[in-house]
Amino acid sequence: MRTLKKEYIFHLMLIPGVIVTLIYAYGPMAGLVMAFQQFEPLSGFFHSKFVGFDNFTYVFNMPDFKQVLWNTVVIAVIKMVLALLVPLILALLLNEVTKRWFSRFIQSAVFLPFFLSWTVLGGVIIELFSLSGPVNGLIASMGLKPIMFMLDNQWFRGIIIGSDIWKGMGYNMIIILAAITGINATLYEAAEVDGAGRWKQMLHITLPGIAPIIIVLGVLSLGGILNAGFEQILIMYNPTVYEGADIIDTFVYRLGMFSQQFGPAAAVGLFKSVISLVLVSVTYYAAYKFNNYRIF
Amino acid sequence: MIRSTLSRKIFVVINTLVLTAITLLGIIPFIHLLSVSLSSNTAAMAGEVKLWPVGFNFDAYRYLGEKVEFFRSLGVSVERVVLGTAVNMFLCFITAFPLAKSVDQFKFRTVYVWFFAVTMFFGGGLIPTYIIVKNTGLIDSIWALILPGALSVWNMVLMLNFFRSIPRELDEAATIDGAGQWRVLWQIYLPVSLPSIATIGLFTIVGHWNSWFDGILYLNSPDKYPLQTYLSTLIMSINAQMQSLSLEQIKAMENLSEKTLQTAQIFMGALPIMIVYPFLQKYFVKGMTVGSVKE
Amino acid sequence: MKWIKPWKMILVATMTLSVLSACSSQTKDSAGSSSQTSSKEENKTSDATPEPLGKYADTVTVTEVLGYNPPEDPRTPKGITPEQNAYLKDLKDMLNIEVKYKWTVPSSQFEQKFSLAMASADLPDIMELDPKNFEKLKKQGMLADLTKAYNDYASPELKKYMESDGGFAMKTYSDDGKQLAMPAFEDPFLSTQLLWLRKDWLDNLKLQPPKTMDELDKVAEAFTKNDPNQNGKNDTYGVALQKNLFFWGYDLRGFFNGFGAYPSDGNNQTAWIKDSGGKLIPGLIQPEVKTALGKLQSWYKDGILDKEFALKDDTKTVEDIVAGKVGIVYGEWWYPNFPLNNSVDKDPKADWIAIQIPGLDGPGKSLVPKIRSGKAFAVNKSMKHPEAAIKMLNYYIEVGKKKYQGKTEAKDGFVYNWFNPRIYNPASIDTIYTEVNKALDAKQTEITLDDENFKDVEKVFQARNDYFSGNTQTGSKGVNWGLYFSRAAKDGGWGTTRKIKEAGAYVNNEFYGLPTETQVEKGAQLDKLMQESFTKIIMGASLDEFDKFVQSWKSLGGDQVTQEVNDWYSKQAEK
Repeated sequence: MRTLKKEYIFHLMLIPGVIVTLIYAYGPMAGLVMAFQQFEPLSGFFHSKFVGFDNFTYVFNMPDFKQVLWNTVVIAVIKMVLALLVPLILALLLNEVTKRWFSRFIQSAVFLPFFLSWTVLGGVIIELFSLSGPVNGLIASMGLKPIMFMLDNQWFRGIIIGSDIWKGMGYNMIIILAAITGINATLYEAAEVDGAGRWKQMLHITLPGIAPIIIVLGVLSLGGILNAGFEQILIMYNPTVYEGADIIDTFVYRLGMFSQQFGPAAAVGLFKSVISLVLVSVTYYAAYKFNNYRIF
Repeated sequence: MIRSTLSRKIFVVINTLVLTAITLLGIIPFIHLLSVSLSSNTAAMAGEVKLWPVGFNFDAYRYLGEKVEFFRSLGVSVERVVLGTAVNMFLCFITAFPLAKSVDQFKFRTVYVWFFAVTMFFGGGLIPTYIIVKNTGLIDSIWALILPGALSVWNMVLMLNFFRSIPRELDEAATIDGAGQWRVLWQIYLPVSLPSIATIGLFTIVGHWNSWFDGILYLNSPDKYPLQTYLSTLIMSINAQMQSLSLEQIKAMENLSEKTLQTAQIFMGALPIMIVYPFLQKYFVKGMTVGSVKE
Repeated sequence: MKWIKPWKMILVATMTLSVLSACSSQTKDSAGSSSQTSSKEENKTSDATPEPLGKYADTVTVTEVLGYNPPEDPRTPKGITPEQNAYLKDLKDMLNIEVKYKWTVPSSQFEQKFSLAMASADLPDIMELDPKNFEKLKKQGMLADLTKAYNDYASPELKKYMESDGGFAMKTYSDDGKQLAMPAFEDPFLSTQLLWLRKDWLDNLKLQPPKTMDELDKVAEAFTKNDPNQNGKNDTYGVALQKNLFFWGYDLRGFFNGFGAYPSDGNNQTAWIKDSGGKLIPGLIQPEVKTALGKLQSWYKDGILDKEFALKDDTKTVEDIVAGKVGIVYGEWWYPNFPLNNSVDKDPKADWIAIQIPGLDGPGKSLVPKIRSGKAFAVNKSMKHPEAAIKMLNYYIEVGKKKYQGKTEAKDGFVYNWFNPRIYNPASIDTIYTEVNKALDAKQTEITLDDENFKDVEKVFQARNDYFSGNTQTGSKGVNWGLYFSRAAKDGGWGTTRKIKEAGAYVNNEFYGLPTETQVEKGAQLDKLMQESFTKIIMGASLDEFDKFVQSWKSLGGDQVTQEVNDWYSKQAEK
């Protein structure tokens, strides 16, 4: 009784969120049955034929599927690590800038690419790394042989990863910066008195202060382990780099080219969801168990 | 305050250089877009424009001034951002606040948290979502762009974590003073969370501004499109699966020649949102004095 | 445990909420569809003798959906929306038919939006269908039989169009003697491959237009190495190409055809040609393809092809053409419309000509499809007035006549490409060609033709005169030249195609059905296989990779597809 009285206000506060989520997030989940159907829009969910796990076996037995899965995981994992590391370093460097206008200006500039779509940026990046582009110009001026970056499987992966980090780094950087500003300023003053240098202050005050948010970002990004960047790769890749850059999403996209295949696409979606949920749950409990920290 | 040792000086120089380089990288695409939009159309079509206009002129911007579609959709975007951000932020607060409590304060928080978290990973896909949006009567209204995503679980989790870094003593002190939790949220939590509000607010604004596909799906006539939906229809190229172009598509190809005008619209479309960020920046500093992270 | 109650209440509340809203929207829907039948009684009042352009006594409301491109004419009023299209008002005045759009969307998103409409069972009265959707709706029995409406109401012009190919296209859209859709089709020869090249470059290098592959080889090499634009810089290459070897433009269909190879008619799926035994064989895996790939390989090595063609999309390739970096490109009759018009505007010296594709010994034979039709107009079975669709088709053809000259101007808000259903004269390009040349030969100063083709013919005639008199009021020099040179010039796009058609220098792609079952299932894989192998061979992998490709293609489903296509073919022969 006492808990209810104290906590009823919390339940009340959650009602709007729960309703919206039930309708617009849980409602459509009925559509997951598509993964087990030979779905046909005209027939709808109720009249489409059920095919059991056929959609899954169809996709998983494709000759290239293993390669594609591997590409996805490799690209996604590297992106995941760098997408946390680069913004972290950037935020720490920015924190050392004393001129406020300069710091603000850089923050804005770093965030800029986030506003442009891959359709626009893809063209710019291809241009940058083409044979007649500035990067090869630089290489030539050093007397080295030009490189066809976009047609080489290794380089292409690098460019995909690099450009994605570049486009998105402003986002995590801002979160980390916000966390840094939340650290109690008196801690720094005390350290100053103790004679700790900037480096020590960063190690012993800033980093521990932002650790929780870093863990949250890290664990949540694990959910994207099978998302290697569909739109970006679709716009930038070409047949010569299918081998190293064809990912699950582009693969499924091409499956639908001759006739939209809803079933297999839904099956892959469900597969990805389950993997993400498992990974995030495991890390959630690991963080709780070892660090006594609930990320959400 | 800061002792200027030699190593510190060297660090500052290198730091400035590195950050300047990164800044340049971020600005380049925009300079490119601006240059293309200020060039002659033939030079743009020939791909000759890099970082400086070729055949400098303002024609594209003069045409843009007459583009009714551009300004109409700009208006819709502003409406969407204002309404959407208000709804999103409100839901984000009232949902994150109870969930930021520890288990001993709110027993069922974990159940709720997982109820929300699952939706980060599972989605039903396009068709079922469309049918739900249709059945809730939102099709062709601006609410179709706002309600389905009214609670961003991702942002809510961020907010929840920011809330947690607020010292529990503040909360408890207020409760002893007789303040209800509702008042604690608005009068104590909000004022001290300005940096995080600015952060999440920024993401929400940018999210609403940038999203374009829901406009295509849920709106039935292009005069209701927000700006990015309208812009996306400009740069979409002809379906690659076409074996041959019909007479009409051939004629549509001719229209693709207006490259400078397209670019001018893309550039102007990004401009308003670029201005928002520096404006929000001042709030990042204000929260400086709030207490440290509590284990 | 008390907490369960509010929890349950929330659950129940939301459930009822969503159910309720589902119900209410359903009633709304049915109300919407009944509105079109507001003129039910009108049936009786309509006159006994059907008139193609007879005005309904009571307004007939027709629902449609529309995928549209921006208005083409720059004089169109700013900010106009499809609902405001003046054609709709005119249609209402003339026939008392009112069009209501359920939704309108830019054409690139039409497919997406239409499949959502199908999934939520919310289809309009008159629909524009691609072959796949037509097949689906046909199977579900959702299309109205138009046989009677067509026979009774089609205007003489519409009937003339429909029968211009001997009823071939009509037959593809009929089932069991029922006409289920009205196809919009075009002359298949519009797909004929030509070779476009820079005459001014040939002249600079004192070369003749190539007739054979060997001659083309020399020209392409000279265009790469001998400074054809005489600017003293090594900044040109031979043949334009983008990353899709088979596409709707700037691709290599015509090049392969020159070797007697018929790998594809543009969609990365193989084309099907008849062998001596009357069976259909996949052109993609014939030995001629290997020979052609060998030539491409050496071209790539010599820099005749762009070293980075594999990462260029069509817009990048267009940039090279406009910038004057490349002087040879394979493609169809319409290139002067785009992008060659931009090339001409960029460089006034640019002089593009069209020739029949060079072959092994003398000009080669291009691949031509059996039918060129991407869409058809069908009527929802629930519609009370299927003949309204036919009348609307009549209407659009009618207002192209000379007596309506000046009455359907873009500046007054008439946007023709937003009006559906709309069927062109399938021979529209050829009519323009003949009529403009007739007028020129008779030294007329204006077009006297008085039928539904007037508007189109007049536009090209005007552009031709503007081009020669240097008038750039309605369009730049390039735009005027493009209209004239693609459609009316004797040595232009259609002029050259016409000669090829008359000479019979073509090979048919015999398959025109929907993708077969195995194609749907394995198509993406076969496509990836082809693109990877061919691109790698061109960029220097061993030519023997082709034999491996053929083996994999067959075993990955190609043999099965061949079987299915031949089954289709024999069924087609019985019809």
